[in-house]
Formats: sequence, structure tokens, C-alpha cells
Amino acid sequence: MSVISSLVPARFLTIIAHLVIVITIFWTREYNVKACLPLEFTQEQYNSEDLKLVVALSVTLGLFAIELAGFFSGVSMFNGSQGLLSTGAHASGSVALVFFLFEQWDCAVYWWILAFCSALPALMEILLLIAVFGLSKKPL
Amino acid sequence: MAFYEVYSHPVLIRYKASVCTSATVFLVVVVCLTYISPLLVAFRSQGFWIQRNTYEEQAVVRFQYETLLVVATGANGDHVAWSTFPHLNNMLGEKLRIPAVSVREEDQNQDGKLDRLIFQMQLPLKDEENVYSVQLLLIFSYQLFTKSTVVMQSLAYMQHSSPVPGAKLFISGDLRLQQRTPLPHRGLFNIYNVSVIDGSSPFASAYDLDNIVRRYQERNLTTVLSCPIPVWTTGRAARSPFQLIAEIHYPVEVISYYPGFWETIKFAWIQYVSILLIFLWVFERIQTFVFQNQVLTTVPITTGKPHQQ
Repeated sequence: MSVISSLVPARFLTIIAHLVIVITIFWTREYNVKACLPLEFTQEQYNSEDLKLVVALSVTLGLFAIELAGFFSGVSMFNGSQGLLSTGAHASGSVALVFFLFEQWDCAVYWWILAFCSALPALMEILLLIAVFGLSKKPL
Repeated sequence: MAFYEVYSHPVLIRYKASVCTSATVFLVVVVCLTYISPLLVAFRSQGFWIQRNTYEEQAVVRFQYETLLVVATGANGDHVAWSTFPHLNNMLGEKLRIPAVSVREEDQNQDGKLDRLIFQMQLPLKDEENVYSVQLLLIFSYQLFTKSTVVMQSLAYMQHSSPVPGAKLFISGDLRLQQRTPLPHRGLFNIYNVSVIDGSSPFASAYDLDNIVRRYQERNLTTVLSCPIPVWTTGRAARSPFQLIAEIHYPVEVISYYPGFWETIKFAWIQYVSILLIFLWVFERIQTFVFQNQVLTTVPITTGKPHQQ
């Protein structure tokens, strides 16, 4: 049972850390938007880049909702591979987003971070949800 | 009696699985993250490949006993001149004035390299002539040996002018090396081993200061006399010559060069391995946790003797 006593809290903590950083970026996205734009920019360019970043962050929050739903409902809480994948993806996502925030990386990088660190575990979560609720397999 | 640990040794457990399992995927991901991440970290934090490095050396400098002197003796452009080039002296005609020159080079710390040039010159002048400006060119040969072997002819150009007529000019400075580009790290570098002033040319354009300085400044490696405080003494007594005393030091220079292949690789390797050690330790702990607790199914095989009944 040492697996469960370590992996489940680790997964929970990394998901919450990733969530906190995404919310932080939501509130201080001005600097990151300015980093995507050239030195001279118009207000329309700013607005369009801002909108793109808001859309990306909202998609991230949606994927978090899916994953937390699967986690708290018990569907994937005790699944070893999903736990490992989720912990790894969210941990590297947190590190990458800290760099994104402090080093003011380009906005295009965010889509890559979203794909590997939010979409991938959420996709596996959806597959597990379909397997359990749709195909009536036992969770684990 | 007290109970203490006499000896310990580790036991090896091998975890085996077939190729098409999640354990293989995990292993591939972990290996990529272990060996590629330190490269990314080292590269993104700047300075992975060193582009330029420096070293210190005192050059072997010798005065070539070639000089060109131009002295303005009147406010309306009159001047007298002297040089060590026979063609120029012939062309000067009446404007030639021959000074008394004494030159000495010293090696103060007895390390085999000359450290200082002392150049003293006394220029005879007519009573009605006054010195308003002095332009002096001295030619040196400059050699470096530690990294690439550099052999070149170089120039020290000093100039001072004053609205009041002078009796003596004292200059004390360093002969500094100016680099536009770093030197190579090995090999012979003698493209500038051509004389700065072509003494065999019979044409006046070869001795024109504009042309000399322009051609000299086209070089990527030059020397320049750095003298922040020339001392101009006024009040020349009648019938006494104009004195010019120049002390030029040959200092230790900090020279920049392009590092070679092995030096670059050495520093890159140091950076990579020092970050790799951290990643190896972290992923070893993660892999031990995953495989020991069977988060992904593998077959553990211990190497040890089973208990015999």
C-alpha cells in the first residue's frame, strides 16, 4: 500500500500546483502578451494576442476540470499508470509554466505546454472514464 | 556487548519486462528526460559554447630604429621634419632639420623581454622659430608567442600641439595592443609583418601621415600609444634646442582569442555533466519508486541464494 500512500497525494499536489500557476498567469498575463508582440504594436494586435492567450488558459482550466472529475470520482485514483503519467505531466507543466511566467516566453510555447502537460493526461482520463462508465470495466 | 554494523553490501534486483509494455514507454521517456534536459538547461542559461577567451602575455617588442618627426615652427604652417628614411629626407630639402637622438631599451625585471624604451631627442632651432606642435611616429616589431605566434610591425604615433610655443615635451605612456577581432588560438599570424612606412619608396605619398595612418588603421590588430598626460614645458631659452623625451613602456596585455575545439568541448562537457548528475539522481529515485512498488508491472529478479532447507 505504500504506492497509494505516495502516488495519490503526489498526483493531487502536482495537479493543484499546475492549477495555481495557470490561475496566476491568468491574472498577470499582460507581460506575457507583450512578450509575444513586436516592439511597436497597435491596440488591435494586443487585443488579439490577449484573446488567444485567454482562450488557451480557459481550455487548460477545462481540461483540469475533466481530470479532477476523474480523479475525485475514484475512476483513476488508484490506477498506477494514469497516476504516474498525470504526476509527471503536471510536474513538468508546472516547471515549464514557471519559466513561461518569469522568463516571459513567447505565446506560441504555451500551446506546446498545453498539449503535453494538460491535454495528454486529460485525454487518458477521458479514455478511462469511457472505459469505466461506457464499457463497464472495473476502475483500476 | 553493544550491537553495531560490521559490514553491508547492496543486493541487485533486476526488473524485466517485454518490449511492448508500458514499462518500456516509461523507460524511454525517463531516458530522454535524463539525458536531454541537462543539455537544454545548460544551453538556455547561456555560455554553453565559449566564443572568446582571454589570456595575459607581455609581448616581445623591439624598436626598429625607424622614425618620422614633424614639428610645426610657426603659427602659419611652417614646419620642419626629419626621418630615418633617406628618400623622404632628400625630398624635404630645406625643411630637413636633423636632431640629436639617443635611444635606449631596458629590461627592468631581467626576464629576457624588454620593458621600456627611452627616446630622447634634441632638435636645433633658429632663434626666431617656435615649436607649436610635434608629431612623432616610432616603428616597433611586436611579437606574441603563447597562443598563436603573432609577428607584426607596429606603430606608436604621438602628437601634441599647443597655442604657446614650447621648450620641452615629455611623454610617458604604454604601448597598448588594440584588437578588433580575437586572435586564433594557434598557428602563425604574420599578415601584418609588413613595414608600416615603406622606406624604399621614392614617392611622397608613401610618407604622407594621412596615408600612413589610414593604411595602419585598416588592420585588425594594431598598437597604440596610450599617454594620458603629456607634459609641455614652455619658455625656450634662445639658442637652446627643443627637447623631446618619450618613455614608452611595454606592458603585460590581456589578449582575447578564439578558443580551440578541445577547449570549447571541455567547458561544454563540464557544464553538461554537472547538471546531468542531478538529473541522474532524481530519475534514479523515481525509477526505484516506480519499479519497486510495481506501479508498472515488471518481473523482479533478485540475485541471491534462496534459503536451502
